[in-house]
Amino acid sequence: MRRLRRPTSVMSRRAAAASAALVVLAAGAAACAGPEDKSEAGGDGKPRKGGTLTVLNSAPQSDFDPARLYTSGGGNVPSLVFRTLTTRNREDGAAGAEVVPDLAEGLGKPSENATVWTYTLKKGLKFEDGTPVTTKDIKYGIERSFAAELSGGAPFLRDWLIGGDKYQGPYKDKKGLDSVETPDDRTIVFRLNKPVGDFDYVATQTSFAPVPKAKDKGTKYEEHPVSTGPYKVVKNTSDGERLQLERNPHWSAATDAERKAYPDRIDVRSGLNSSVINQRLSASQGSDAAAVTTDTNLGPAELAKVSGDKKLAAQVGTGHFGYTNYLAFNPKVKPFDDPKVRQAVAHAVDRTSVVNAAGGSSLAEPATTFLPNQKSFGHTKFDHFPAGASGNPEKARELLKAAGHKDGLTITLTHSNAKNFETGPEVATALQDALKKAGFTVKLQGLEDNDYEDRVHDAKDEPGLFLAHWGADWPSGGPFLSPIFDGRQIVNDGYNFNSSFHNDKSVNAEIDSINKLTDHDEAAKRWGALDKKIGAKALNVPLFHPVYKRLYGKDVKNVVISDWTGVLDVSQVAVK
Amino acid sequence: MSEALLASEIPGAGATAAPAPASGARQFWRRLHTQRAALVAAAVVALLVLVALAAPLFTALEGQDPTSYHPGLVDSARGGVPVGPLGGISSEHWLGVEPQTGRDLFARLVYGARVSLGVALAATLLQIAIGVTVGLACGLGGRRLDQSLSRATDVMVALPLMVLALALLAVVPGGFPRPVLVALVIGFVGWGGVAKVVRARAISLKSLDHVAAARLSGWGGVRIARRELLPALAAPVITYAALLVPGNITVEAALSFLGVGVKPPTASWGQMLTSADVWYQAAPQYLLLPAAALFVTVLALTVLGDGVRTALDPRAASRLRIGTGRKREDGA
Repeated sequence: MRRLRRPTSVMSRRAAAASAALVVLAAGAAACAGPEDKSEAGGDGKPRKGGTLTVLNSAPQSDFDPARLYTSGGGNVPSLVFRTLTTRNREDGAAGAEVVPDLAEGLGKPSENATVWTYTLKKGLKFEDGTPVTTKDIKYGIERSFAAELSGGAPFLRDWLIGGDKYQGPYKDKKGLDSVETPDDRTIVFRLNKPVGDFDYVATQTSFAPVPKAKDKGTKYEEHPVSTGPYKVVKNTSDGERLQLERNPHWSAATDAERKAYPDRIDVRSGLNSSVINQRLSASQGSDAAAVTTDTNLGPAELAKVSGDKKLAAQVGTGHFGYTNYLAFNPKVKPFDDPKVRQAVAHAVDRTSVVNAAGGSSLAEPATTFLPNQKSFGHTKFDHFPAGASGNPEKARELLKAAGHKDGLTITLTHSNAKNFETGPEVATALQDALKKAGFTVKLQGLEDNDYEDRVHDAKDEPGLFLAHWGADWPSGGPFLSPIFDGRQIVNDGYNFNSSFHNDKSVNAEIDSINKLTDHDEAAKRWGALDKKIGAKALNVPLFHPVYKRLYGKDVKNVVISDWTGVLDVSQVAVK
Repeated sequence: MSEALLASEIPGAGATAAPAPASGARQFWRRLHTQRAALVAAAVVALLVLVALAAPLFTALEGQDPTSYHPGLVDSARGGVPVGPLGGISSEHWLGVEPQTGRDLFARLVYGARVSLGVALAATLLQIAIGVTVGLACGLGGRRLDQSLSRATDVMVALPLMVLALALLAVVPGGFPRPVLVALVIGFVGWGGVAKVVRARAISLKSLDHVAAARLSGWGGVRIARRELLPALAAPVITYAALLVPGNITVEAALSFLGVGVKPPTASWGQMLTSADVWYQAAPQYLLLPAAALFVTVLALTVLGDGVRTALDPRAASRLRIGTGRKREDGA
């Protein structure tokens, strides 16, 4: 697989680390700060309504049920059908990393130290059959996401809602979940067991979409979920392999400031190889001229070809997503218990060759901070162990000598065998070459991808040094720093993300304190400062933040790529 | 086994080789000499072996090594495509550089020859050693031994080599030296054909007078095998080996292509092909170089193997009128 970092998705194994954010990837990524790509590239003028937009994807829209989808910010295709209490701001770049109201009139009103969140619905909201949407439907949708038979969704509410750990879902537990209150049809109140200043971000996930109890068919609901968005499902073939959407006549743009919904029909076709998708988009023949992809980006060789062709180069959008690739240490394994050895590694890395291995400067930006280089995460610049553009082997040798290894040191670097240009052999061999200059003899231990994922997340069997990556479920410092550095989230028997086994009371207390903040800007500043503080301990070596190049068909207009998802927002695209 | 033992020992060889009173080895060389294609192939193979053996010398001459990164030689903003014409060919980098890393392609190709040829030759020797031992044991042993070993051989022949090799390579821990492992796996999996040929030959030889005489005089199985059978087996075994080598080269390349062969940063042609397959449009020489190297090597070895077989097989030699000292009669 080339570099396809999956969007939509999913994650898997969250069970254990539940609160964690997952890694993942989601879909997407986001954007870069780059206003330069606002590109109107495909177009000759203003976007108009009409036509059919084709979406060519590799991963199918499987289990298309709001309780089962695991999305960042409500997903891309799902958000055409499922409206949620809040949603992403549908803007290019950094503005797209903000959270805005969707079904709710405004963002949530926090009280009691951010443990109680209250939302009020807009007026005039309707389902695709014309029945009005009430907060009871939202409560029911949330309760469904607790049902064991509807697995797959994000784990956060289970951890946060009072009584959420015990609740079995509406099929087994008719009484419902008391910590979600609906005093009237337009008000909904969430009572949490701890402060969650980021609750508005999480209310973008599809489990916050209303589901009418009368239409619920359990696991069969995914075949025809009841829409509140601009499109409704007319046909779902082979569990989301092909999904055909048409306009929902009961959706009103007057209640939805975010979704533009230019095309009349959306045809999502999945199960395609990523190189086939890019080939079809570059050829732009027939319906492919009005096609986009929400889960495939250009690999290095494809970028080399596309960038040599002016016409094609104009059909490429750039996206950033909160994501960091790094070298992780396990300080329980010698010699990485010695901070000087870890610092020596940090000084020795050659970020130029690492970035090249990841696809070059258009597909990756060098990283010295663990937080992604975006304001919403609270990115604060620092470079505790400067390696310059291509490494500082002299400084590294000095540190090694001071640590008692004057003749150099032999270490093992564990990586995945997947050719993914991030945790695979490409980046590993680039590091091996750079560390050699500093006196390290690096042995590479390549593992099959599944084996690699299991090993690096197994507290008992974790390698001493490995390639790792982390992406956030929503654009804030919390889901980035807490799972990795909060000592209370170390999972000793299960899926562990705190790979440095970092447990520092002052850091834990600071995390709790920031989680109480409901002012995102203020919280961002504190996350940035915390990142800088933890970074000084050299528990990992940030390597690069990926950048995504997204090819789209020649007739596609109004390309918007937010920093929240990093992919073309299908609710904004026009094909006429 | 040396060629000195060869052709004269083959039953019937004497008849066609009438005007050639010389030793078997000389006769072999003369027959090989008259096949121009085989000679060219032999020269190519000799050159490849020389290049593989002297890889450090060649790269030192060029002033490069196969693992050093040269970030300045690739266009980072364009995915890491080599800078300059034809994939960055220059006086420093004779065949250009690898995309994304800037590693020298000539050095990687030359070092890749070591892996390809080394693994293939080692695997072939192993296949021959196991195959000859098993084949002789079948031919000379009792009925029971013959039956059980023959069934085992059938199983080895029937097992798909690639699938078995994939499975074996996936379970061995990463610490084991990879090229050695690949050679061992190919060697231990692919000996069935040799064993079958040797067994059939040994059984037919067993009934010959000189073997029977040796048995009657009380020689043991090992001694009979060594003194009476092996010399006569040399021709078919050498022929078989010559044809196994190119096959083993492609197996090694395929395994490395599939990611279970040699590991980075070691260069191998198969592993270069895998990394290169996505670059076929943007940097075609990156794909073409290892592909051409593989093609030329396998072709040369196959032609050479064919020539060796012809030279060792008196019937073929006679049909082709080669090595008999007479001109071809078809006037061509």
